[in-house]
Amino acid sequence: MADPDLDFTSGDAGASTTYPMQCSALRKNGFVVLKGRPCKIVEMSTSKTGKHGHAKVHMVGIDIFTNKKYEDICPSTHNMDVPNTKRNDYQVVDISEGFLSLMMDNGDVREDLRVPEGDLGKEIESKFAAGEEMLVTVLSAMGEESAVAVKPMTK
Amino acid sequence: MMAAVGAPEVISQLESAAKVLMAPPSMVSTEQRQHAEHIFLSFRKSKSPFAVCKHILETSKVDYVLFQAATAIMEAVVREWILLEKNSIESLRTFLLTYVLQRPNLQKYVREQILLAVAVIVKRGSLDKSIDCKSIFHEVSQLISSGNPTVQTLACSILTALLSEFSSSTKTSNIGLSMEFHGSCKRIFQEDDLRQIFMLTMEVLQEFSRRENLNAQMSCVFQRYLALANQVLSWNFLPPNLGRHYIAMFEATQNVMLKPTESWRETLLDHRVMDLFFTVHRKIREDSDMAQDSLQCLAQLASMHGPIFPDESAQVTYLAHLVEGLLNMINGIEIEDSEAVGISNIISNLISTFPRSVLTALPNELFASFINCLTLLTCSFGRSAALEEVLDKDDMVYMEAYDKLLESWLTLVQEDEHFPRGCFVQPAVQVFNSYIQCHLAAPDGTRNLTANGVASHEEEEINELQEDDRELFSDQLASIGMLGRIAADHCIPLLTGLLEDRVTRLHGQLQRHQQHLMASADPGTVDRKVLDDLYEDIHWLILVSGYLLADDPQGETPLIPSEVMEYSIKHSTEVDINTTLQLLGSPGEKATSIPGCNRTDSVIRLLSAVLRTSEVESRATRASLTELLSPQMGKDIVWFLRRWAKTYLLVDEKLYGQISIPLSTAFGADTEGAQWIVGYLLEKVINNLSVWSSEPELANDTVELLVTLVEKRERANIVVQCENWWNLAKQFASRSPPLHMLSSTVQRTLMKALVLGGFAHMDSDTKQQYWAEVLHPLQQRFLNLINQENFAQICQEEAVKQEIVATLEALCGIAEATQIDNVASLFSFLMDFLSSCIGLMEVYRNSPETVNLIIEVFVEVAHKQICYLGETKSMKLYEVCLTLLQVYSKNNLGRKRLDVAAEEDQYQDLLLIMELLTNLLSKEFIDFSDTDEVFRGQEQSSGAGRAVSAADVVLYGVNIVLPLMSQDLLKFPSLCNQYYKLITFICEIFPEKIPQLPEELFKSLMCSLELGMTSMSSEISQLCLEALSPLAEQCAKTQEKDTPLFIATRHFLKLVFDMLVLQKHNTEMTVAAGEALYTLVCLHQAEYSELVETLLSNQRDAVIYQRLADAFNSLTASSTPPTMDRKQKVAFLKSLEEFVANVGGLLCVK
Repeated sequence: MADPDLDFTSGDAGASTTYPMQCSALRKNGFVVLKGRPCKIVEMSTSKTGKHGHAKVHMVGIDIFTNKKYEDICPSTHNMDVPNTKRNDYQVVDISEGFLSLMMDNGDVREDLRVPEGDLGKEIESKFAAGEEMLVTVLSAMGEESAVAVKPMTK
Repeated sequence: MMAAVGAPEVISQLESAAKVLMAPPSMVSTEQRQHAEHIFLSFRKSKSPFAVCKHILETSKVDYVLFQAATAIMEAVVREWILLEKNSIESLRTFLLTYVLQRPNLQKYVREQILLAVAVIVKRGSLDKSIDCKSIFHEVSQLISSGNPTVQTLACSILTALLSEFSSSTKTSNIGLSMEFHGSCKRIFQEDDLRQIFMLTMEVLQEFSRRENLNAQMSCVFQRYLALANQVLSWNFLPPNLGRHYIAMFEATQNVMLKPTESWRETLLDHRVMDLFFTVHRKIREDSDMAQDSLQCLAQLASMHGPIFPDESAQVTYLAHLVEGLLNMINGIEIEDSEAVGISNIISNLISTFPRSVLTALPNELFASFINCLTLLTCSFGRSAALEEVLDKDDMVYMEAYDKLLESWLTLVQEDEHFPRGCFVQPAVQVFNSYIQCHLAAPDGTRNLTANGVASHEEEEINELQEDDRELFSDQLASIGMLGRIAADHCIPLLTGLLEDRVTRLHGQLQRHQQHLMASADPGTVDRKVLDDLYEDIHWLILVSGYLLADDPQGETPLIPSEVMEYSIKHSTEVDINTTLQLLGSPGEKATSIPGCNRTDSVIRLLSAVLRTSEVESRATRASLTELLSPQMGKDIVWFLRRWAKTYLLVDEKLYGQISIPLSTAFGADTEGAQWIVGYLLEKVINNLSVWSSEPELANDTVELLVTLVEKRERANIVVQCENWWNLAKQFASRSPPLHMLSSTVQRTLMKALVLGGFAHMDSDTKQQYWAEVLHPLQQRFLNLINQENFAQICQEEAVKQEIVATLEALCGIAEATQIDNVASLFSFLMDFLSSCIGLMEVYRNSPETVNLIIEVFVEVAHKQICYLGETKSMKLYEVCLTLLQVYSKNNLGRKRLDVAAEEDQYQDLLLIMELLTNLLSKEFIDFSDTDEVFRGQEQSSGAGRAVSAADVVLYGVNIVLPLMSQDLLKFPSLCNQYYKLITFICEIFPEKIPQLPEELFKSLMCSLELGMTSMSSEISQLCLEALSPLAEQCAKTQEKDTPLFIATRHFLKLVFDMLVLQKHNTEMTVAAGEALYTLVCLHQAEYSELVETLLSNQRDAVIYQRLADAFNSLTASSTPPTMDRKQKVAFLKSLEEFVANVGGLLCVK
């Protein structure tokens, strides 16, 4: 986390990777930590026990890195952890042994990110093989990172 | 007729195919199955299959083959009707009937199919003068008089088949004839044959009702004829001269009321008919299936109206007889569960059918007994309904019956001026009391008590989809509220007393809990049972009070109900105004502890009972007892206050003939009372928003109360004088807790309310200050943030993202606050943001959530404001939307996403873009900008420098959307609907732009239209067909041949031609398809002739050829040469209908 290049004046070095939020203020398609994993909320509903009971929130989330599904139910007054997420675009300069070489804004190259699994990974590899220049979007949360989108470089 | 050449081969082929079809799925392959299906299909299409079919019926032992043979006969008769000799048709019908008669052991489905064929033949023949099918009734009556149950059952089946064949165009077999044909058949049938059927049925019922004991077989026959009688009485009598469209609409009505033609007078006004049904019911009432039919017959008789009655006195006599019969039937029996709904239907039908003048003309005693009986029945059904709820029964028959009766009460008392004064007061008291009793806990009430007095109390999980009681039971509550007004003298004090008592108990209970908690500090030990019972009592008392005191009409100003006003006026002389105001102004004190509390206005006291409830709630929250409170009760309170405020707050004396002094003194304009209560409500809202942020529904109801307070200028004027309002505004603008914890929808509505409040009357300094508090911080914070030098670097930080999202949400709320008188200033304010938002699109291009929210702001602005904008302003909006689309397009070109969101959500952006485009287009339909000069003085010379038009923006947008809309995406209903709405709008509004589209885009647009026409739902197909005419007209206008559009329309001509002429199509579509066909024919006359020629040349049969040729000639006869002229088009559509009726069925033949 203590990457000096990411440290700017009001920077987040040492900042918490999550922040609390009242359950009722969460929203569908937003993020939340379920069972210790950063998830995107794909379903959210409320219920109550008895007509005069207090609201409970039922959430279904999908792990943004592993695509695994998690569920949770809790009183709507509870605070849940929300992961700080970031998205950055990097240019792909090389692919070797399943790892992407990405050029950072300052010109440095990092080589520690895997080619994602599935269709997106295949897309990146075939585009690279065809010699196309492209940007990948890297999503990071709670100390993990993964490529989540690709698009051609704009000239 | 064709000889039965090779009949044995045909039979064996069909029988083995049947074997395949009947075999279990594991035994045969799909191909085998399809092949077998194909054999039957082509068999049914074969020409003149009559001899073969007869042979099959006589020799085959396979039921399924018999069934198919019957179907083949039916289809072929209709297809070849005009080619067949009339006597051969007749002998065919006789053959089929005899066949069935001689084989009593036929499988039921085979028999029904053969009888259906008979019915179809009779129907097809009923308009053909050359053939007489009437003899069938004679034959049937002979069968009935045979006395043999099996034969009688068969006779009943024949009649039932005839009835459903003639009854409506939806039930009729598809015989490819026009609606007009079906309509004419039905009219002829209902005048004569239907009555014959009814008479035959009555004879059978008479006969059976005389018998002492019926064996099982007999009672089975009885039941079938009773059902048949019900079918006749539920006949939807077609009035003369009803057009084709109306026939379809008319037939779609459910719950047909009996409105026979005049010719039925003698039959149905005969008292013996009604008496027979009462007798029948008495005989079979313990058999729940049959009882349903007999009660339904009576309910139909109770709904009788129309030309059958020669005059009002005939109606009175009829109704008197009906009511007498009904009272005789009900009195002295214990009603069976299965009778409840039927009996309530009879009552509800007679109350809604017979005019008040007829009801009041009944003998006084009879009317009084009827009302008395209705009262007792209502109370009793209400209690049984409550029991059903406790037992959680699936089938809530008493609830349904209770609903019906309450609805009937509403109908009765809404026009009570026709009835003797006060005649409904006592009944109203009884029904009201029993309702309250069923909804209160013991000992005052019987809620949750089972029949033997045992309390049941279950805590069930309730999800958010379950409607709130105030909606779920709105009909019941509206009736009870109305009855409460009728008996206001009793009901208002009753509600007040009960509510004050419950509130006092709640207060005491909460205090005990608090002491208990302070002692043990363990909230787990609290027994909620007593509390929950109190909450539930209060819940119902508030709901009933809300419905009693006020209505909630959509879109108009609700008035204080006249009964409530009169009640308050009547007692105003006994009322002490000051004590009343004191009672109102001290919600923290017990009402009964105020000296002279019995000399206060009761209407105000009922409101103040709710305020007392509210006060107990608020104090409990301050004492940190929120966890013990009921959010449901919180919702009830703000719901009530909102409903009350809309009607009573700042009561406008001009709207009433007479006004109650206590009400006008307490709540009138410029009164201290009104100011006090506005302040109180505001405090309540603020308290709720901070305490209940975790209860989305309660927060929402609360913020809606706030909107109600400010959406009317007069109320807003008082609101903005409150310091609390300003505090709320400041607090919200500073995004500090607790308001920022509210859900996004609530925050949006809160923003909307704050903006609406800003248009209240204030002096210009105050107003400036207000906007400086509310809107400027929003702008300032936003600008400060995005103008920071390192914004590009910090934009991904959580705090920054939250700030941005909050701003975007607020912008949506501001757009929602748009009204005609504030659009000028709101538009300018929002426009400044819209350009900055585009910058954000770039910054947050990787965060779909944020991108969607940005587009949503544009969607909202376009949705709420475009209809008010003049030319220059619209242009500005178009321009900024165009830029948005450009940025969106640049960022999404060639983009591939790995998105974990559930399917449809992934395409939220596409959906929003299409919504935006559709909203922009809507200006072409709804435009208020010319009539209302809302931008007076601001609008510059119009038309100057017209840079961007709606068409440009929309087409550019379509350019982006089209390539992204794959066939897969069209499988999502929301995307599919929005997409077709958009593209057909474009074709209709800007046909001149279509030819200018880039080639690829043009092609995919045409493909989409074709796809939508041929393989989507009928709704979309219709949309696409509607888009074709403007395109063809466009071609005709330019007169250029060989343009891509010209060629495309030629292709569409063939498609529409095939659709109308060759394929079985949905009759709803004939008009849209016909219009499209006509304009296309105008454009491509030569191609059309060619299509007709090709079709004709394929016909080998000279007779058919001639018929087709004639039909095509008369189709275009009235419009030769075809021109785009409205009159000709209408003539063409008319001929087209005849054309489809004439030869439609013929062309479907292979």
